[in-house]
Amino acid sequence: MPADDEQPGTDLSYHEDTPRIRTRDGVGLYHESRGTGTALVFLNNFFLTSPFWREYTEELAGHHRVVTYDLCNHGASSRHDREPTWEEHAADVVGLLDGLGIESAHLIGTSASTQLARDVALAHPDRVRGLVLAGPVFGLTGMRRHRQLNRSWLVTLKSEGIAALYNQIYPEVISGRMNEDGGTPGFLGLRESFMAMNTLDQLVNGLTLAQQGDPDPALLGRVTAPTLIALGDDDILLSPGRGHDLAALFPDARCQIMPNAGHVPYLDDPEGFQGLVRKFVEETESRV
Amino acid sequence: MSDPVSAVRQRIRGLLVDLFGAEHPVHAAPDEGSLRAAGVSSTGLVRLLVAMEDTFSFEWDDEVRPEVLRSIDSLAGHVVAVRG
Repeated sequence: MPADDEQPGTDLSYHEDTPRIRTRDGVGLYHESRGTGTALVFLNNFFLTSPFWREYTEELAGHHRVVTYDLCNHGASSRHDREPTWEEHAADVVGLLDGLGIESAHLIGTSASTQLARDVALAHPDRVRGLVLAGPVFGLTGMRRHRQLNRSWLVTLKSEGIAALYNQIYPEVISGRMNEDGGTPGFLGLRESFMAMNTLDQLVNGLTLAQQGDPDPALLGRVTAPTLIALGDDDILLSPGRGHDLAALFPDARCQIMPNAGHVPYLDDPEGFQGLVRKFVEETESRV
Repeated sequence: MSDPVSAVRQRIRGLLVDLFGAEHPVHAAPDEGSLRAAGVSSTGLVRLLVAMEDTFSFEWDDEVRPEVLRSIDSLAGHVVAVRG
């Protein structure tokens, strides 16, 4: 196979010369920005780092400004004794926008960070042009299922370590189709990335925070930003039917079902996911 | 005559040339060096693992320890171990 078949964007290395964005006192966030135009800011769940997104946003970056960053206390962002609260993470998002000169942006949340996207949209509606919630953690009447899942992951992590956590998470969040198609090499390859992106402390802090925050579904009814729910039909938390029901809780939302995708649908179908996001952004911008 | 691990290491290096071309920085990496640090992405690693299954006639197992996938040397050691 020729060398140019290798995808240089799949590496997880950092651009160490990138200046950190100061958001709060002593907090500096690593970020990457590619492309021009309407800004799309990707919010990491607690398993991902900024470089991870390069491979999964190439098409979007050809049409929009794609911004990815590391959460405070994660990856190459600054480290602090105390894990930030959700409110502080939300303040960091706004500080990032300020630091990059972005008046308002579309926020793309995934799993646990869909909660962060919700919180930013509620607290700073003027800064949010739209929300994309990939594999949302919201239930129709609460978030107990997501909290219990995170608690289970945390127990495994603390007792058996990162590799064991991965062993548990993989069949839960990866679709049956991707699992079968990738086989053991796919499982092992993603595990290598997972272990390269995460430390024990980061994961403990993230999985602990993921069990906190306001679970009230009534909050969704106060989100004024146009919202797209991108839901795999093999998502562990929501069935397709409930995804549409969840969208109905928002004032201005729709649910798009991604076939043969799981809780992290951009892994199953990177091109399809980017197509959905691009279409949503263009539709939303045409209404402004 | 080379020992079995050395022979497998050389074949793995041949696979890396086939997969990534002769100019890829992984070829300058020592046998014990980290493949990720040498620029082998997760996508590249998956392709290498598949190629190794075909070349050495074995199948990877989900239970394989993370450190086995770290370097050319650890991969070669695993191949020799599973093939007896």
